[in-house]
Amino acid sequence: MRIAWRGVELRLLLPTLLLVPLGFIVTHVALSGAFEPGPLELALGYVALFVGAHLVLVAFGHRGDQLLLPAVGAMGAVGLVMLNRLPQDLAGTSAFDVELGMAATQLLWFGVGIVAMLAIAIGLRDHGILRHYKYSWAAIGILLLAATLLFGYEVNGARLWIDLGPVSVQPGEFLKIVLVVFLAGYLAETRTLLTSARLRIGFLSIPPLPYFLPMLVLFGAVMLIAVRLNDLGTALLFFGIFLTMLFVATGRRSYVLIGLLLFVAGSFVAYQLFAHVQARVDVWLDPFADPLGAGFQPVRAIYAFGRGGIFGEGLGQGLVTLGGSLTIPFVHTDFIFTAVAEELGLLGAFAVLGFAAVLVFRGLRIAALARDDFGALLVVGLTASLGLQTLIIVGGNTKLIPLTGITLPFVSYGGSSVLASFVMVGLLLAVSHRSAIGTDAEPQP
Amino acid sequence: MTGDILRVLLLALQLGFVALLYLVMLRFAGSLLKDLRSAEQAQLASRSGIGRLAVLESPEDEPQAGTTIALGPINSIGRNVNNTIYVEDDFVSATHAMLTFRGRSWFVEDQGSTNGTYVNGHRIDRPVALSFGDELTVGRVRMRLDR
Amino acid sequence: MIATNVRRLGLYLILSFAVVSGSIVWWQVVQAQALATRGDNPEVIAARRSLLRGTIFDASGQVLARSQVVEGLSTRTYADPAFTHVIGYSSFRFGSTGVERAFEDLLVGQSDPNPIRQLVNDVLDRQPQPRDLTLTIDRRLQDFAAAQLGSNRGAVVAIDPTSGAVLALVSTPTFDANPISGDPDVAQEPMDALREDSAQPLLSRARQGQYVPGSILKVFTAAAALDAGAITPETTFPDQPRQETEGFVVDGFTIREHDLGGLQPDLWALSEGLQVSSNIYFAHVGLDLGADAFLAAARRLGMCASLEIGPPDRALSVTPSYVTQPVEGDCGPFSGDVELASASFGQGSTLVTPVQMALLAAAIAGDGVMPHPYLVSDVRAHSETDAPADEVLQRFSSRGGTRVISTEAARQVRSAMVDAVNGELGRPYAGQGDVTLYGISNARSAGKTGTAQLGGEQAPHSWFIGFAPAGEEASAAIAVAVLVESGGSGSTNAAPIAGQVMAEYLRLAAGE
Repeated sequence: MRIAWRGVELRLLLPTLLLVPLGFIVTHVALSGAFEPGPLELALGYVALFVGAHLVLVAFGHRGDQLLLPAVGAMGAVGLVMLNRLPQDLAGTSAFDVELGMAATQLLWFGVGIVAMLAIAIGLRDHGILRHYKYSWAAIGILLLAATLLFGYEVNGARLWIDLGPVSVQPGEFLKIVLVVFLAGYLAETRTLLTSARLRIGFLSIPPLPYFLPMLVLFGAVMLIAVRLNDLGTALLFFGIFLTMLFVATGRRSYVLIGLLLFVAGSFVAYQLFAHVQARVDVWLDPFADPLGAGFQPVRAIYAFGRGGIFGEGLGQGLVTLGGSLTIPFVHTDFIFTAVAEELGLLGAFAVLGFAAVLVFRGLRIAALARDDFGALLVVGLTASLGLQTLIIVGGNTKLIPLTGITLPFVSYGGSSVLASFVMVGLLLAVSHRSAIGTDAEPQP
Repeated sequence: MTGDILRVLLLALQLGFVALLYLVMLRFAGSLLKDLRSAEQAQLASRSGIGRLAVLESPEDEPQAGTTIALGPINSIGRNVNNTIYVEDDFVSATHAMLTFRGRSWFVEDQGSTNGTYVNGHRIDRPVALSFGDELTVGRVRMRLDR
Repeated sequence: MIATNVRRLGLYLILSFAVVSGSIVWWQVVQAQALATRGDNPEVIAARRSLLRGTIFDASGQVLARSQVVEGLSTRTYADPAFTHVIGYSSFRFGSTGVERAFEDLLVGQSDPNPIRQLVNDVLDRQPQPRDLTLTIDRRLQDFAAAQLGSNRGAVVAIDPTSGAVLALVSTPTFDANPISGDPDVAQEPMDALREDSAQPLLSRARQGQYVPGSILKVFTAAAALDAGAITPETTFPDQPRQETEGFVVDGFTIREHDLGGLQPDLWALSEGLQVSSNIYFAHVGLDLGADAFLAAARRLGMCASLEIGPPDRALSVTPSYVTQPVEGDCGPFSGDVELASASFGQGSTLVTPVQMALLAAAIAGDGVMPHPYLVSDVRAHSETDAPADEVLQRFSSRGGTRVISTEAARQVRSAMVDAVNGELGRPYAGQGDVTLYGISNARSAGKTGTAQLGGEQAPHSWFIGFAPAGEEASAAIAVAVLVESGGSGSTNAAPIAGQVMAEYLRLAAGE
């Protein structure tokens, strides 16, 4: 293998990584009131991780997209600075006789995630092999769901977690990757048939049912169980990924339209049937009706947005406490975007959205340049997942849509989310590498 | 008064952080724009061509493994030299298969060959739509349809 | 093809990102200010609970309201219930009212009167500096006026006609603001008691009470007619003496004179008409003036719309007064000559606030210029002691006034009002409003009584408006309006209160 310099990546990474030590210093000065840098081990660890990842890619001659790693680094930087600023006892690990605070734990997961990303980006020479096992993926997905159903335990009313000794995992985070791989394989094979639909119902034309059915059945199962697990955010995300991939594979707006109609109808039925859905929608419509009860979370978030204003209250200078506890609930997971918006203001909030947008639009570019349909659809699905997660959780924070518990990729605290997001970026890197080398001679096996 | 000095310094630090955040954004924007321009040029250069065949395996070295064949809208594959794509392999019939581009996708149809035409390892008995990335096998020659 | 679809997907995603960005802008920019000041914002409540509020002093530097922070909880003490309807209250449970509300940001120090210092404080993120306020009202006069009203329901409004400074703003019954502003857990009960009280102590009668004015509105009718040239002080109406006994038929409706108490009707001009308070005379004046000119003058004098007691941007609002049936917040048209004639002597559909009537008196006293009322004279740095700090941060002074009638017309009305108190015919009615009765030797009053008929068995409201000194030699120092709800005739109840309040003020002013 030959070394391939990744100059664009390095030039983008350097200022990006500087964010973390600077953010740590600002936070320390603001919180302690003393003009000194404070502890920087974690910040330097973060810098080392990304510089290391860059060097490994260079060493292995990787020709994948050079904007992905810096964009991930920027989102992670804002996330880590915020997590470091919060009380460290909000979360953490105490396995193997080591006590780690929240930021340290997050950094540990970034390490694990980056290793996984590199392994996939470099090890997966031909992503085409993934499509050969599409029914295995479907089986794995169903197993993951079944495991969650059987062994999962509840946090905040949603049964999402499985306890695996030292760590708890959220199978849903990995399920979405499995789902994307399966759908990409299936759609790459049947997209021509799906496109040349012959069945007409009114103004809508639908594809021949036999080709459509297995996908609908699988997807119905996913949706049903997601609703049964009381995880509306994941259900919404899966549905969004499904529709996006279907649209890109077929170019048919009518499928998306049918899907949206189904979703509206399903939402309406869920609203009528389930009390918890009803409660959540009512709170969404008017959180101020009961600001201390049901509307507590959205109201606190809205006030935090208001306090932040355009320039923010400053790192370490916002996040009002009432009676010793933070007023924003789940500030390290569901509401981390709100915390960013309060302390870094509209400017900081836009920056985070901007980094997410860079990630998403690079993903779309990789899809458009992919040399095979499976790769393109795989990338579209993964990109849609990252983008929709961002849109759904930020929209939930700002009350644009009802709030659902979902993580902001690379920013929210959480090992499963970080690891899954890195796996997705690893796949993006692998596909873009294939496109890049394809223009030259085929590599020798 | 020292409190005020500290506040001014802290304010400068806070502004510095946001400024760095936007410096990073600016760099991203710059890279994206530069990339867009080069992509446009690349697209202009490669506007011709609706697809190509990458030859993955070819025991007789005609066509040569590792090369790519540019495709027109209608391509015949076979051992007869009059075929658009000439394949030298004993397991290939004179006119083995037709590879055609119909509007928005590629189709392959076996032309009554002795040993059959395979798509992703499955023998076909009727015209089959191909996706980019699909593998096409005629005789012992394995090829992949690429964009 | 997939690449085309991906490009279309990109378009939809850009749209989605734009919508989400918009929702952030909505809360962080558009709604930020509204959120920050929302009363149910728990942070606002929590912050206010521990925030020191500035002290409010009266004009002579006595403490009226002050706060102390004990164990992180800010408690406010109000010294004088007579000021409750001016200062209002600042309650953790019910929000704030009155001056407490109008000057909220300055009292808690969230804003600085000096914009540059404000910017520096914002930049340096300094702790809020509470500010103190000084009222234009002297506690002695306020208490004196409140004592004069005693247990009556009513209002006393006194204004310096030159500057517009409010000298007294009394509304009875009043209430003690301390239990309401205190511990939020026990504040509900006293509030409920006040809300259920049939005497309506929460109603600030001086600013918000709307009352039939009765004869005091004749001062307005005279001023409007003289200003428009519809009459002169010498104008008489030949039919008037006969109509005093037979009644004045307007559009088939007979307007009757009030009980003249054995006085023989005569051909009266303006001075006599005002002295005996002849309804017939002023009905003629109003009809000669005409509906349009009458309404135009009413609007010029601030009626038909809500008023403010300044300073601007930090004003207390005053409910509108009306001379006709209101239509969409404005005086509607007169339904006919009967209503116009009735309004001319303060009946019909007229409804006025005591503040508006005090301003009417002040406009006459000020030669036709109506002052802009204000009741806070300065903002000072916070004082830890019982005496106001020397450092004045912002001074509110007179903003001049608005000319509402000509100088000549004002002087003519003024002369008639002097006669109304001191003249042979007027003395039995308004004589009790004369300051000389209450120990003032070198000044006289001008004034007009009102006995607002309410119909049915209800006792009429007792009114008096006037000013002193009213001679040619000195400009008036104080203009008052006194209302006693169901107090009977103006002469028996309101006039003596007004006379004593004016006398007390002149005494206080001379003593300083």
